[in-house]
Amino acid sequence: MGLAQSLSTTNSRRAETQKISAAEARSILDKQRLQRPVSPHLDIYDKQQTWFGGSIWQRFTGSGLSGGLYAFGLAYLAAPALGWHLESASLVAAFGALPVAAKVSLKFLAAWPFTFHALNGVRHLAMDLGYGFNRQTIVKSGWYIWGASLVGGLGLVFFL
Amino acid sequence: MASIARSSLLRQVASAPKVAVATKPASQNSIIANAARASAFHTTARRDLLPPLPQKVVGTVNDAAPVPTPSPSHGSYHWTFDRLVAASLIPITVVPFAAGSVHPVLDATLCATILIHSHTGFQNIIVDYVPTYRTPRARKAFIWGLNAATAVVGLALYQYETNDVGLTETIKRIWKA
Repeated sequence: MGLAQSLSTTNSRRAETQKISAAEARSILDKQRLQRPVSPHLDIYDKQQTWFGGSIWQRFTGSGLSGGLYAFGLAYLAAPALGWHLESASLVAAFGALPVAAKVSLKFLAAWPFTFHALNGVRHLAMDLGYGFNRQTIVKSGWYIWGASLVGGLGLVFFL
Repeated sequence: MASIARSSLLRQVASAPKVAVATKPASQNSIIANAARASAFHTTARRDLLPPLPQKVVGTVNDAAPVPTPSPSHGSYHWTFDRLVAASLIPITVVPFAAGSVHPVLDATLCATILIHSHTGFQNIIVDYVPTYRTPRARKAFIWGLNAATAVVGLALYQYETNDVGLTETIKRIWKA
């Protein structure tokens, strides 16, 4: 037994400690937290999930549409003071005077975010109810919504 | 200790291809290749893409995270309300397309629902990107700015609905222009 104890490989050594005040400890901790690693850049992830993910595009399209509505609302109230004409009649006249290319692109700029947000919104609600979480379903339904929203947006521009 | 561990990992990785060819079965080659890639990633130069804001520990590090006070207008009720508003927008949006025209009351309902939906949507964005624990004053400014904007836009939509032809009819006329 004595031999076994003297051959023990357990390494025991004294931990060196230092007395510091609570404020000093806090400032050391705050400095250490500044050195913590930052999340990796979006570039390193799979494009389908980050760049073309329905989640962030739902936010982009939604804030675009709502931002447009808010901008119009604020401009409409400010219009009399600024001498602008934002009544429906002058808006229609102004839009009608635009060249065809501008009409088509402006319409698509409004129509595609609308179709995307509507279709992806339905997918979002389905997911909120717990449907469609199979991995393959997520990937496929994501691409279907891109296709359907582009086709739907072009349909609204050219066939309505 | 950390530097010793790292250099041994690097040595392993550096000697990996030889080992892989000599003794490892094919299924393990990909693991070793991945280790080389992962090691390369972890040893790349640090880039300050999104430098962290000034850090502050509230209380001590051993305090549990604070549990927010329950509120009937936040949390799961708020979440469910959000979804109900979003779901109710589906029929209200489809009806004008199907019917070709829209009753002023339905148009006003559409405007009000879109306004609520926009407001809570913007709220979600602010809550996500302007956290109270890091930027408390900016958070307050954004939330109250949004409240003011929503109130003003609500007034604007009321004016537009009562003095003009309504949202749906305007979009329709612009589309046909």
